[in-house]
Amino acid sequence: MNTAFRTLFVSAAAVGLLAIGSTAQAQDKTIKIGALFPMSGPGSYFGAQDKQGVELALEQLNKTGVNGYKFAVQYEDSSCGPLPATQAAKRLIEQFKPDVIIGEECSDATLAVMPIVEQAKVPLLNAGSSSIKVTEPGNPWTFRIMPNEVMQGINLAENAAKRMKAQTAVLLFENTNAGIGNAQVFKENFTKLGGKVLAEIGFGRDVNDFTSIATRVAGLGKVDVIPTYTLEGQGLKITQALAQAGVTKGGGGNAIQIGTIWLPFGFEQKAGKAALGYIRIVQFDPTDSRDVAKNFAQAFKAKYNADPTHLNAHAYDQIMLIADVVKRGGKDAQSIRDGLAATKSYSGVTGSVEFDKTNQNIKMDTIHYMETKPDMSWTSLKWN
Amino acid sequence: MTTTIVLQQAINGVVLGSLYVLVALGLTLIYGVLVQINFAHADFVTLGAFAAYFFMHLVGGGYILSIGVAFAVGAALGWLINASIFTPLRRKGNELLPLIATIGVSVMMQNLMLAWFGPIPYAFETQYSSEVLRFAGIFVSWQSIIIIAVSSLTIALLYAFMKFTFLGKALRAVSQDRETAGLMGINPNQLIMLTFVIASALAGMGGAMLAPVLVLTPFAGTSVIVKAFAIVIIGGFGNVEGTILAGLIVGLIESYTTQYLDPGLIDIVVFALLLLMLAIKPTGLISERREENV
Amino acid sequence: MSDPALAQQMPGQRAALRSRWLGYLLAVIAIILLPLIFTDTYWRTNLTVCAINVLLAIGLDFILGYTGQLNLGHSAFYGLGAYVSTLLIVKLGIPFWLAFVAGVGFAGIAGIFLSLFAVRLRGHYLAIASLGFAVIVHQILLNWISLTQGPLGIYGIAPPPALVIAGTVIADFRNLAAFFYLVAGFAFLSYILLSQLVRSPIGETLTAIREDEVSAASLGINGAAWKVFAFGVGSAVAGAAGCFYASFVGTLVPDAFFVSEAFNILAMVIVGGMGTLIGPVFGAILLTVLPEVLRGLGDLRLVVYGAALTFVVLFMPGGLAQAARVVREKLGLRRSA
Repeated sequence: MNTAFRTLFVSAAAVGLLAIGSTAQAQDKTIKIGALFPMSGPGSYFGAQDKQGVELALEQLNKTGVNGYKFAVQYEDSSCGPLPATQAAKRLIEQFKPDVIIGEECSDATLAVMPIVEQAKVPLLNAGSSSIKVTEPGNPWTFRIMPNEVMQGINLAENAAKRMKAQTAVLLFENTNAGIGNAQVFKENFTKLGGKVLAEIGFGRDVNDFTSIATRVAGLGKVDVIPTYTLEGQGLKITQALAQAGVTKGGGGNAIQIGTIWLPFGFEQKAGKAALGYIRIVQFDPTDSRDVAKNFAQAFKAKYNADPTHLNAHAYDQIMLIADVVKRGGKDAQSIRDGLAATKSYSGVTGSVEFDKTNQNIKMDTIHYMETKPDMSWTSLKWN
Repeated sequence: MTTTIVLQQAINGVVLGSLYVLVALGLTLIYGVLVQINFAHADFVTLGAFAAYFFMHLVGGGYILSIGVAFAVGAALGWLINASIFTPLRRKGNELLPLIATIGVSVMMQNLMLAWFGPIPYAFETQYSSEVLRFAGIFVSWQSIIIIAVSSLTIALLYAFMKFTFLGKALRAVSQDRETAGLMGINPNQLIMLTFVIASALAGMGGAMLAPVLVLTPFAGTSVIVKAFAIVIIGGFGNVEGTILAGLIVGLIESYTTQYLDPGLIDIVVFALLLLMLAIKPTGLISERREENV
Repeated sequence: MSDPALAQQMPGQRAALRSRWLGYLLAVIAIILLPLIFTDTYWRTNLTVCAINVLLAIGLDFILGYTGQLNLGHSAFYGLGAYVSTLLIVKLGIPFWLAFVAGVGFAGIAGIFLSLFAVRLRGHYLAIASLGFAVIVHQILLNWISLTQGPLGIYGIAPPPALVIAGTVIADFRNLAAFFYLVAGFAFLSYILLSQLVRSPIGETLTAIREDEVSAASLGINGAAWKVFAFGVGSAVAGAAGCFYASFVGTLVPDAFFVSEAFNILAMVIVGGMGTLIGPVFGAILLTVLPEVLRGLGDLRLVVYGAALTFVVLFMPGGLAQAARVVREKLGLRRSA
């Protein structure tokens, strides 16, 4: 009892000292990263996974530090909407005074925040917003490591028309900025290559039952590919409904679902047999043999006892890219901005990074194609 | 081909409509007796769905039994919300107070569920959801058949309860006229409590049946509730038969709008019908003709 | 101080008038001082959001608290004001203040239209009709992509043009403090307008209708016409809030005007105290600032917010206005003792 008490006391004192020590150190050599993530409402789907990736990266980086710098992150709930994101960004900038900001996921929110970071001269490193407007015409303070909707859409349409020899397509998309944007790019390019879009079916995020939509698709005759742009939840229901209606391979039909970066690793296990044959772009490839990807997957599994998703990987890459910039001499907002712009062939978990003059990552090895096999495992298609 | 599609969409609509009916019936019952709206009703649906999920995955129970568990969880929530919110506020006079208080409850429940269950959608699979029955070009999953069977049974039981039991008659009496109940020698407070328990139990149960259909997250119920409001008004506030009919109609509107127009237009069609109803027949699809029964 | 019932009880109209002008003076001083106290961009942004929400809350309270019309669709008028003014500016190049007038007018006319439609509906039927209207307006904004851009959004909306008198810039609205003065000043004028309306014979008529429509009708008061008028005024004020919102945030997406926004506005009115104009002002400020102050709680922020909303309604059913009255009476008693 007595020893236990003493141990407790001593360790409490030690923790206290450590805390004092670390804050003292934190004051002189810390890179402060502000994180604008949706943490409430349905958008918290992104925020919760982003946070896991960030925490893992911080844990690894702060063991040793980089160039004598430690990293501290402050999260703000930006709720996936323009006004809350504006409030969250201003709060971060005024109160936390970050050297760099990462986020948002939703394009509307990112676009609303961009003028604010530009005015405050703090770089914004974005991973998850696919709207072309984020980097077109471009903003000197906003960088995006994910391929945008146009890069993905052109690539997907080409592969559908040329490699898969698809002639007809039905577009399924959620009625959001990203959903509509992605679908339009595909339509434009697929039609240009001689393909025919039989129907464009958009739906709200509150649609639950996809049996009616699947019935409609089944009545459209011969459909080769079904580009689908939704998040995991609705995606599962669509895949199952299409199989039940006998449209897709998973339900004995001929159509193949295809898509850009929306769905995580593990989707096919949840969807079951219905997902058979699904071909889509993923940004984190669990079969990736590069060390950086393998180590990340292992460390993630050790920390969270789960396989990482592309969202986990994105967030991890954002922090690691900042660390790389710090290694190259970044120490404040201006130098981190310049360092980001000067990035050459940085190799992250989701692929390489190199920005063009609009600050869009132009490396196409971030686009991996995966196909779902009969046993629900993945094959990496070497299409790029 | 076309007739098959028309028929298939009719089936899809009825399945969806029966689910809406279960959610809307609770709102109607409460409105009929109290002239109040429980805004957290949607979250009872969600919690019912999660109760069923965890009963199956942690306890290892079967799906059919899990519907019963969700029913019980809903009933408990109904008791709780009436005792904590509606009863204390009844004397305060302002009819909007419970609505706002339950908005607070709804925000609280959604975010507590978010903290507990996380935002990533749960895959609620039952042994019935991937089994599909096919005949003459029509497909129906066994899950849908269970939905129709269980909701019909529940509605029939509720109907029998309202029509033939003393308590049920008293309940209808209260919804007609608060004083009649007093004359029947029944404590209206107990009847109100009973209404809340039944209404919320239906919501919980609706959750268990919706769970394999909808995207199961802490926000699942909210996607249904706006339509449930529409169904209640189209059917005529407090009118059980009208609500059932309106629920099925909204389900059919949803499937046919998807087929022939665009799924993005579903809410516009449903709410345009609602405004039309208000303009031409504000008492709802089925007029009140119960007065003479009591 | 703005409660008509209380004003009548006071001995002498003069004292009431004096305390009212004192109140206005205090409000002006507060509006001038606030951006000088809160100098960082974050709090100045919140101040402007507060002012926008005050406009929404007093507009709804005028409809709800003074004519008893259950309007659950206030978000529709907010959204119409925002989209009509923005589209006129962006698509037709109409000057800001002309577009502002058009946005306000359109929202007001939409309110009159809905009220005319609903005038024969009572209580909850109106509530649902207005909710239905709000759902339809949101869905139209969402689906009419060729006009509104739908979920693709409208970006880079400019703030109102700088106020220039004789070549000198008086106020540049890219400055947050100037924007706050603009919206808060407008809210203050709207408040005076509404409170004069409430005190005028029109207001007495409206109160009579709220209390008892049948006897009001027997006195020869055309209840329906006044109700429609009140609905139009309240919606127009929401339209103004929408115009300010669009030019303040600079980004417009339909989801900002989802029906849940109508419930937020309603909560501001109820928490502040329905049927008093001053209550909703503080209700709006409280419910805007509270979630921001609670940010430190992280994931539990909205749990606490929801609980706070429930408890305020449970334990202060008359809202902040009633709580203030109770406190004032207690102080008064103590003084006389």
